[in-house]
Amino acid sequence: MNRRALHKIKNIFKNRCLTDKLSRVQYSYDATQKMYLPDVVVIAENTQEISQLMKIANRYKIPVVARGWGSGFTGGALNIEGGICLSLEKMDKVIELDLDNMMVWVETGMVNYDLQEYVKPYGLFFPPDPSSWKFSTIGGNIAENAGGPRAVKYGVMKDWVKGLEIVLADGTIMKTGSKNIKDVAGYDLTSLIVGSEGTLAIITKALLRLFPLPETKKTMQIAFDNMSKAAAFVNKILLNGIIPVAIEFVDKDAIKTVKDATGVDLPDADAILIVEVDGSKNQVEEDAAKIERLTKNESSVMLFRIAKDEKEADDIWFARRSISPTLKRIADGKLNEDIVVPRSKLAEMISKLQEISKKYGLPIVNFGHAGDGNIHVNIMYHTDNKDETKRAFKAMDDVFNECIKLGGSITGEHGVGITKQDYLEKQIGKEQIELLRRIKRAFDPNNIINPHKMRL
Amino acid sequence: MDKRLYEAWESCVKCGICRSVCPVFKEEKTEPFVARGHITLLSELIKGNIDFSEETAKDYLYKCLLCTTCVESCPNNSETDTIVEIARHEVIRRHGLPTYKKVMSKVLKSRELMDFAFKSASVFSPVFSKSQSKPRDGIKLRTSLAGIEKDRLLPPISKQTFLDKYKDDRKRAKIALFPGCLINYTYTSIGDSLVEILKKLRIDFTVPKKQLCCGAPIYFAGNFEDARYLAKKNIDLFLNLDVEYILVLEPTCASMIKNDYPKLFMYFEDKKWEDRARELSRKILDPVKFLHDKTDALNSLKRLNIKTTYHDPCHLKRAQKIKDEPRAFLKKATDFVEMKKADRCCGNGGTFSIDYRDVSLKIAKRKVKNIEETHAQYLVTGCSACIMQLADILNQEKKDIKVRHTLEIINMAMGGKSEG
Repeated sequence: MNRRALHKIKNIFKNRCLTDKLSRVQYSYDATQKMYLPDVVVIAENTQEISQLMKIANRYKIPVVARGWGSGFTGGALNIEGGICLSLEKMDKVIELDLDNMMVWVETGMVNYDLQEYVKPYGLFFPPDPSSWKFSTIGGNIAENAGGPRAVKYGVMKDWVKGLEIVLADGTIMKTGSKNIKDVAGYDLTSLIVGSEGTLAIITKALLRLFPLPETKKTMQIAFDNMSKAAAFVNKILLNGIIPVAIEFVDKDAIKTVKDATGVDLPDADAILIVEVDGSKNQVEEDAAKIERLTKNESSVMLFRIAKDEKEADDIWFARRSISPTLKRIADGKLNEDIVVPRSKLAEMISKLQEISKKYGLPIVNFGHAGDGNIHVNIMYHTDNKDETKRAFKAMDDVFNECIKLGGSITGEHGVGITKQDYLEKQIGKEQIELLRRIKRAFDPNNIINPHKMRL
Repeated sequence: MDKRLYEAWESCVKCGICRSVCPVFKEEKTEPFVARGHITLLSELIKGNIDFSEETAKDYLYKCLLCTTCVESCPNNSETDTIVEIARHEVIRRHGLPTYKKVMSKVLKSRELMDFAFKSASVFSPVFSKSQSKPRDGIKLRTSLAGIEKDRLLPPISKQTFLDKYKDDRKRAKIALFPGCLINYTYTSIGDSLVEILKKLRIDFTVPKKQLCCGAPIYFAGNFEDARYLAKKNIDLFLNLDVEYILVLEPTCASMIKNDYPKLFMYFEDKKWEDRARELSRKILDPVKFLHDKTDALNSLKRLNIKTTYHDPCHLKRAQKIKDEPRAFLKKATDFVEMKKADRCCGNGGTFSIDYRDVSLKIAKRKVKNIEETHAQYLVTGCSACIMQLADILNQEKKDIKVRHTLEIINMAMGGKSEG
């Protein structure tokens, strides 16, 4: 890195500017398990110093990658070609809680769960709840337009972000959006930045909508002897006028993995659905009873249980949330894709995945958010086996092709980052990619903000 | 490289869950001070990609409480504690021990030197320290000394050690007692409580005089060689006794002997001693668990008119999976109120509380609010190191809450003379 630039950066961040190799190694990875060493790590404490940093970076054309808690699955926070790792983990405070408007301004290094805990005493909650909510930041959630189990009823991040404070590549600090429920002045830059994977600007603060905490909820576990029938059951629930807060599914291999890893008691089924309903007491009782009646008319249902208390509900969710990190027990290699298809195509997609698994002779573990058609497909292979590795990547090709054929998308939650960039064009076409590049240039002419993500 | 160690770090998928539970990370908020960071460091160190200077090693590797909260919450059961211990050992192998830890190892290896040190401290105690209004709670130094600040509440030094007080009567005894250094030299009243309880229950016990420090402070510092010396001495002594159980009063010592002794010999690929350590491991039992499972103590309790809450020591709850038994006694004998996050580490972590006093206190402080919310008069726990830490923070925060060991409460409820 340019010595003069580094000297200037050190003057701003003092002992929060880390250049030793040990520190740089610590900020070189995320949950993709790939490592790219940044040249320097800076730990920011306020927007002003980020603005000063961007001015220097822009002048000397040094890449800057913003980073929260490094829990991303597609390498969004990795310094592919070195440069500056801008850590926002210490910018984690609530700036303003506006109860009248039911909105909150937060610094984007705040962890999603910490925000939930903060607003709970006021009888409020923030609906987007990615499975990583205890260890992913609001900034990362915004950059990836994260969703979670509750998306089926409450939507994803873009539905809850009302405004942003951002720092542009040239150091300009800007606010987008407003507290107005209706606001159509100009382009909707807030929505453009949500899901931009940190490629357009550094997101330093966010104005988020909050929602009243539902009076109560009920969590149910339904075990099926047939995966496709489980997928089809999702639509039966919705067509009966119930909008659950979450409908999650876990397939046979995932059940086995979690059982082995954590020892939790799960039924030996082909698939499990976890269904949660929330709302007023009466509504919740009624919805749960309706679902129970539906399961009685469904021959493939092996077991139906309703969690008696919060602990039992936690146990049901624990199994679901533990799947991803425990998959390494099957094989050390994993191609983890989070495809999404229109809900009506879910059963069809599941059958295709089972066919692909057979065709390539590799275990494919599936789990995810059945309620919104978002499936976490995990193709498992042994990295020291060249043939298996080759087959795994071919299988992934098939998965994406089938998904796109069904009108689906290559990513529902994790984003494109570096791991899916080869497939983006296949889904959205050359012209759209070119338009994305033109937008990127308008924000960041020197391409210093999180370059190389989505091939931008 | 031990295959199991390789697997331990290979099992980390860098998901970041450990960030959400680590007490040190909660205060430091930067990657090097969390399990995922420690695991990466060791892997890079062993691969030779980075070298540890003593200073960075101290900062990165020693600022871990080894509380194992990360291990408990890791879906892949990555054994970060093991990884940190081995990384510390690597650092010591390359750079040697800091002076005060060298002295500590020398003293802990010899009962005579320890007795001498503590007896001298007891004699000279009035010169350099002053007792607090309630002597059971401890003493404070008149001036800061050897890294210990003068505002820190320290355990009172006993005039007679626990080992001196009781007989090594092994003829009839089916139980041996291992008090641990803190109870032997300072909180002897905790040991006395157990003795009174056992006597009431007519259970014979022996207190082997030649027992040495379990070696935990040395082992956690990364000094495996000296820890191995102590482990061998204790294994020899206790395996030669014809006893069914060895009641270890300190959860850290219990966990050290039960879990870490076998691990220690595994590192040295010393199969013979690993097997002996495992044999001893099977006899180690926490006294409260013993009273709960093997005696009628629970039914001998009288109701006390006090309100209590309980703090889970890391080495009791996570290392030995004991959490319900102490609560069963407290629920039976007292008005018990559960506090929020009862199993969150108190921040003591042995020498951590000396090396990183500021972080240690910040961690402890987070417990004060939760304790206060219960309106309990007594904070009860099963570890004297936690007692030392929590009594200190409650004293600093000027809270009138007594801190006692579960055994002291049980003894009180059995009509014992424990000072309340």
